[in-house]
Amino acid sequence: MEAATAHAEHHHGPPAANVSSRVEAQFLGMLLFIISEVMLFGAFFTAYFFIRVVSGDEWFPIGQDELPKLIAGFNTAILISSSFTMHWALEGARNENRNALRVGLLTTFLLGLTFLTIQVNEYVHLGFAPHDHAQGTIFYGLTGLHGAHVFVGLTLLSFATIRAFRGHFTTKEHRGVEVPGIYWHFVDVMWIVVYSTVYLL
Amino acid sequence: MLNPLRSEQEAFRFLLYVAVVVGVLTAIVLLVRAIS
Repeated sequence: MEAATAHAEHHHGPPAANVSSRVEAQFLGMLLFIISEVMLFGAFFTAYFFIRVVSGDEWFPIGQDELPKLIAGFNTAILISSSFTMHWALEGARNENRNALRVGLLTTFLLGLTFLTIQVNEYVHLGFAPHDHAQGTIFYGLTGLHGAHVFVGLTLLSFATIRAFRGHFTTKEHRGVEVPGIYWHFVDVMWIVVYSTVYLL
Repeated sequence: MLNPLRSEQEAFRFLLYVAVVVGVLTAIVLLVRAIS
């Protein structure tokens, strides 16, 4: 292993055939993952647009069933705030400000957890189930899919936070924060689209 | 060109652009609906 590392450090010329010279493996992995995620969300949005545009069916409120726009709006503000704290954390890593890195990551994690808790509470108090009507199926499908992504993001953030408190990451080596950061911003972008289409429009 | 998958900074900037664009579009649609 050490010999291989030493060889890689002294190696000049083009990279090995299976390694990209332009994109690091970690970033390439996250890039392909996020592109596949966009397609997955696209499939769910297709169902949503089919109901609303092709079928022309009514959207919420349906009878007594309403969507809590205000609470979801508050939740949206929480999630967007968490992107600011994520960015702050990474700026901390870049500028060797360990406190900003730690507090930023921890705050991002707590804000994400709050978002998920409020969403679960919203599900508990909604007066309809996924099997009640197609609109309900799409609502739970889209918001649930996003919620699952928040959960994955929280898992990544928990790893980064624990590592930050253990003294990992430097000004030059902070991919362990940067890659979850890209993912977290992606999750926020998707929520902005989900909130505006499902709740507001 | 902005590539949100290249770095966290670009992803953050992309998020801000999306928030502004989606916010404006949503406001326009809601306004048109309210008027008509």
